[in-house]
Amino acid sequence: MKNKNNYIGSSSQIKWYKKDSTQAILMIAPMLIGFFLFTYAPIVYILRYAFYESNGFKDTFIGIENFIRVFTRDLAYWRSLKNALVLTFGKLAVEIPLALLLAVLLNKGRKGTGFFRITFFLPTVISAAIAGLIFSLMFGSFNGTVNGVLQSIGLIERPINWFSSRGSALFVVGFASVWNNFGINMIFFLMALQSVPKDLYECADLDGVNPIQRFFKITLPMIGPTFQVVLLNAIVGSLKMADLILSTTNGQPAGKTEVVMTYVFKYFFGYDGRAIEIGYASAMAIVTAVILALISGLYMKLSNKLGNSY
Amino acid sequence: MRSSKMKKISGNILIYLVLTVVFIVTIFPVFYTLMGSFKSNMELLTNGGRIIPSEFVFDNYKEAWKLANFKQYTSNSLFLAFFIVVGTIITSTVAGYVFERGNFRYKNLIFGMVVSSMFVSLGSLTLYPQLMIAKAFGINTSLWGVIIIRVLSMNVTNLFITRSYIRTISVEIDESAKVDGCSFFRIYISIIFPLLKPLIATLAILTFRFAWNDYLMPMVFTLSNPERMPLVVGIMNLKGSGAAASSWNLMLSGSSIAVIPMIIVYLIFNRYFIEGLTAGAVKG
Repeated sequence: MKNKNNYIGSSSQIKWYKKDSTQAILMIAPMLIGFFLFTYAPIVYILRYAFYESNGFKDTFIGIENFIRVFTRDLAYWRSLKNALVLTFGKLAVEIPLALLLAVLLNKGRKGTGFFRITFFLPTVISAAIAGLIFSLMFGSFNGTVNGVLQSIGLIERPINWFSSRGSALFVVGFASVWNNFGINMIFFLMALQSVPKDLYECADLDGVNPIQRFFKITLPMIGPTFQVVLLNAIVGSLKMADLILSTTNGQPAGKTEVVMTYVFKYFFGYDGRAIEIGYASAMAIVTAVILALISGLYMKLSNKLGNSY
Repeated sequence: MRSSKMKKISGNILIYLVLTVVFIVTIFPVFYTLMGSFKSNMELLTNGGRIIPSEFVFDNYKEAWKLANFKQYTSNSLFLAFFIVVGTIITSTVAGYVFERGNFRYKNLIFGMVVSSMFVSLGSLTLYPQLMIAKAFGINTSLWGVIIIRVLSMNVTNLFITRSYIRTISVEIDESAKVDGCSFFRIYISIIFPLLKPLIATLAILTFRFAWNDYLMPMVFTLSNPERMPLVVGIMNLKGSGAAASSWNLMLSGSSIAVIPMIIVYLIFNRYFIEGLTAGAVKG
């Protein structure tokens, strides 16, 4: 008897090997079934329904009509995508530098560092939906505490209706999101900073390099690869934001603050009194996934210099 | 010499000033929620400028617990989180063990397929088909559907953490057990699993955070069965209802009920939180 696995010698060992691999398959099988059912099958489902018109009961094949509708007739979809992009880049422009600054400040082992690190990370353990709810109460127009405080210190005369215009509503959402997420990015940067060799800084000190040069010439290039991954995760994560929008503005006023995930979600479930259009929602889901993949790919290409900086 | 010392001191003052401002902004929303939950509804609706309640009342908690069904929501959340945590510990460690130590055909192909699912960015957009598939099995109107989907659909981050942890356990231990007649499954039960204790703590805490905070999936699975809503869904349901303006007290006390256990768990186990999340990010 010749066996392909020639590192296995005697026939009793082959039996062992076979028995072990059967057990391995049996152990992993329930998960593989679950994985294909709930991860891959939904993707197949969406790929199929994208070519159908369906309200959940009746399906009609309509070819690429759904895609034509996304690209030519649905301005609201593109507006929701634009909102997601504006929100993502607006909030990351604050969140990432803030996280990096705090990481640098906390890296030196000053007094109270542990305390600040634990508190700054605290919002990360709070649900995004609850964070959104708390912020929408804080920024409430008549009895919100933010307006109350601003009025009592005389910064504003009348209460601001934060959720009545797109700009101020997106500002509150972005604020809530930064609050909810800066801690985790700070921890990632802190980890990277701790792996930078100390003697690099000692050499720089001997050469009389100032702190700002030190940051841009040593620190940033050394943590480049981490920075690249953290920023990618932050971009993709923010573009996929849904809970926070549903719990703050829910797209109001008049759908002006809808982001792409909530927009498509509402077509799937007929949430908020919208008609259920599963076929059209599937087509939008595919377009969205492709756009997100393109953004990630483009980002990786543009940021390669960061990743290879040392 | 003296001026450089002055410069250092003023630099330190500036740094602590920045840290303190960030500290206040970070802690304020939590403080606001806690304080707000002790205000009477009257005070909540009229006086937003005052942060500390003029009089501490516990009625909001009583009302939320008894009248607004938060007792039920809390027990649903505990139920959901418990089964997801226990299930995920089992599936993650089994998957990590099988993919690291197991030998069977197409292992690498299957592993590749599992990992590549990470790159399909559909997020909450697969919820509808997931619900439909669950419906085919009759588990679409209870929390069991959420538990089964969360436990069985492999979490790639957990898989990476477990697999690389098991890699650090010497293969010689397995082999000597094999000589003694232990089967592949037996080695997992009596040797590998007990060695994974520190990792299991991390997995448990990360999964607890995820399950306790999850919103969209439990929401769509309890749309037609409000009795089974977990806390986050129940609180959000108050906001969506027409009575939102008059239920600020319930929203604030409900949020406190949802947030405080999480914060306590975090304060006790913060090391595991931070280690687990960073390990996942670096390996994944």
